[in-house]
Amino acid sequence: MTLDILAYAAFFLSMALTYAIICLGLNVQWGMTGLFNVGIAAFVAVGAYTSALLTTPPSPDRFGGFELPIFVGWLGAAVTSGLLSWAVGALTIRLRSDYLAIATFGIAVTVQLCMLNLQPLTGGPFGIGFIPRPFADLQDNALAFSLANFAVMAIVVLALYLALEHLAKSPWGRVLRAIREDEMAAQALGKRPIRFRLQAFTLGGAIMGLAGAAQAHFIGFIAPDNYMPILTFQVWAMLIVGGSGNNRGAIAGAILVWGLWALSAAAVSTFVPAEQQARAASLQIVAIGVGLCLMLLWRPRGLFGEVSPLTRLKSLRAAPSKE
Amino acid sequence: MNPQFIMDGLIAGAIIGLGAVGVTLTYSILRFSNFAHGELLSWGAYLALAVAGALGFLSAGLTKPIAPFSFGWALPISAVIAIGLTGLLALAVDALLFSSFRRRGSAIIIMVMASFGASLALRSLLEFLFTSKPAYFTKALQIAMKLGGGLRATPDQLLMLGVALVAVVTVHLLMTRTDIGRAMRAVSENPALASIAGIDVRRVIRTVWFLGAALACVAGIMSGLLIQIRPYLGHDLLLPLFAAAILGGIGSVPGAMLAGLIIGLCEALAVQAVGAEWRAAVSFVILIAVLLVRPRGLFGKAS
Amino acid sequence: MTAPILSTHGLVAGYEPDLPIVRGIDFSVSSGELVVLLGPNGAGKSTFVKAIAGLVPIHAGTMMLNGRDITHVSPHRKVAEGLAFVPQTENVFATMTILENLQIAVAHLPKAKRGAAIEALFSRFPDLAARPSRLAGALSGGQRQMLAVARALALDPPVIILDEPSAGLSPKIVSEVFDMLKAINAGGVTVLLVEQNVKAALAIASRAVILAEGRIAHEGLPEELASDPLVGKIYLGTAHGHQGAPA
Repeated sequence: MTLDILAYAAFFLSMALTYAIICLGLNVQWGMTGLFNVGIAAFVAVGAYTSALLTTPPSPDRFGGFELPIFVGWLGAAVTSGLLSWAVGALTIRLRSDYLAIATFGIAVTVQLCMLNLQPLTGGPFGIGFIPRPFADLQDNALAFSLANFAVMAIVVLALYLALEHLAKSPWGRVLRAIREDEMAAQALGKRPIRFRLQAFTLGGAIMGLAGAAQAHFIGFIAPDNYMPILTFQVWAMLIVGGSGNNRGAIAGAILVWGLWALSAAAVSTFVPAEQQARAASLQIVAIGVGLCLMLLWRPRGLFGEVSPLTRLKSLRAAPSKE
Repeated sequence: MNPQFIMDGLIAGAIIGLGAVGVTLTYSILRFSNFAHGELLSWGAYLALAVAGALGFLSAGLTKPIAPFSFGWALPISAVIAIGLTGLLALAVDALLFSSFRRRGSAIIIMVMASFGASLALRSLLEFLFTSKPAYFTKALQIAMKLGGGLRATPDQLLMLGVALVAVVTVHLLMTRTDIGRAMRAVSENPALASIAGIDVRRVIRTVWFLGAALACVAGIMSGLLIQIRPYLGHDLLLPLFAAAILGGIGSVPGAMLAGLIIGLCEALAVQAVGAEWRAAVSFVILIAVLLVRPRGLFGKAS
Repeated sequence: MTAPILSTHGLVAGYEPDLPIVRGIDFSVSSGELVVLLGPNGAGKSTFVKAIAGLVPIHAGTMMLNGRDITHVSPHRKVAEGLAFVPQTENVFATMTILENLQIAVAHLPKAKRGAAIEALFSRFPDLAARPSRLAGALSGGQRQMLAVARALALDPPVIILDEPSAGLSPKIVSEVFDMLKAINAGGVTVLLVEQNVKAALAIASRAVILAEGRIAHEGLPEELASDPLVGKIYLGTAHGHQGAPA
């Protein structure tokens, strides 16, 4: 019994950590750079499908599988999603800030259509199954299998976290921050904001693609339903709750919001009569939307949000100096 | 090729155009792309449905179809009421949400994000209230009339095209010939200068919300009458609305309508040439083309 | 001296509450004066007049117009109360025609009086009357400035404030603008002028006020200031002993 709970906890946390990866990617785009992406689901989906095509066994009714090793699939996922982000960013980042948002929204709609309609590539509405899972030979032992997968996710998240923290402190990260705080000043220093923004957007997209691949291999099958706009909303809720610009917050927010989501979904399925469940589920989404707005109104920097250098400067000035 | 696609395209285009006029007005004056605009279409349609239902309950005579149309007096009456209610809804959302961001001088993108949250909440609230099952204003079936040239249209469709035309001309005249129209254009160009030129910017913002919501409501009712009413009605139109507003040039009323018709016709053409399943991609392709070739759109000012 | 028509008391203003640019200004203008505000770059002149017009947040202090407290009156109400402001840049609606610019300006008048008010402005600024359907964005710098002033005068305000009306104009046009301001003032309108063009401004001013670091540094008659070498050197950058390098 306790073993079951432990296995479930590992499963739950692994799932939450895949969201944490997406959240870290979004944090590079939004938190570090201030770029608004409304098409997260699309970048995750492209990663998931790329990895699935690369790693599944050949299938007569669609293009691919190439049976490549899982890590090649992950790499391919990051590259493909990164390329897609680069293309969207190159087109829109130089324009008004919300054109990027509109374009990513368009990408989400279009990728959704492609998943459904490009049957020979994506398997259509039924998606792709038999995606190889890491540690498949442990599958008979639920606990060992869950723990091994959890360990993989934890290592990926930790590695990403350390890399991104390092990046934030690197000259590249400092330029990004400078651009976000004061674009004119950064420009005056000879930094080209568009290039840095585009690089950040591409990197963020690549991380989302990686997350998509990780998720796909963890679950073992993918279908268009997994990448509905609600995914985008959930990830945004996670980052906003955790605090944008803060990698630890992004991870914590992912686990917290995923936990709340899973819990409330469980509550809905236990306590609400079957014929009312769809309605209750929509209330759940209303709550996410309202929550997002309330966070923006009351705690725009999230529960664990960073302090912006400008605010820090101001509070320094306001406080009597002690030098 | 069957010329009927022209009629289908015009009808879809009129709906998109009306919605896009609202998007372009709110965008040019509030200065952010409102992702919740689509929900104003859906709410408009559902509010009209609810009011029409209540009217029909009070007096069965109101639901008796007015020949040659498929609906009774309940629909036009409820449409007027729903327009007012949708306007109030937009004002309420502004008062609760966007006005505080404006007061703080928040970044545009924060407002875009808040609109994204609001759209989610509003849409799911509709799903909660009315479920996701499609609803209809009328069960009556209409026979399409032959118009010549191989075109056919139902009386409802022709009426809606007329309504769209009247609505756009009215808005255009309002923008060019009246005090409030000039005030809106002034705020759209330079809110600070507008305020010291004696314009009450807050009043202009309220007017724009109301006007945008009213047009959204009309578009939603059109879509509901000619196709069906669903909670996702507006959300599915959002990309075409944005594409039309950008193609027409932000701030241009005739531009938004024309661009809406172009997108509607392209969609109809694509449905015939490629297949209905790709309809939603048309506006994305157009959007990308506009952003690549002429980001300010057909009639937009250079920024 | 008559009672002040416009005054500020301990005015603190700036875009960020923690970093005020205007740091406590007591200032007043009497009816019929033409006061020029001078001072080095960054002294807060522009921010000060924008705060009076209501375009910059006020954090402390009060301001009165005609004996009424207008500290927290919104900008468009100040216009109706008789305070006109001409910003330095972007002071006309470039995407609208000359006529539309003026129609906006007279919108506070009853409908019956608007036509006459616009006619009066056109006869005062004949350059604008020539082609009222031209887009304001297509006008020359001088014409734009005329339109901006015409717009501000549309409601016959008792007070008009101008932020560097001569900026970016050719010397010939500058002197036209200053002649116009003098004429406006002679017509009974109180004028408050922010200027970098010290000489021309002092030539028409009835009083000069020098701001430095967000406060009033010096005040006096134009002749006094113009002949005070210290003031000239420190605040105005008009070294009277031409040879010396400015401090």
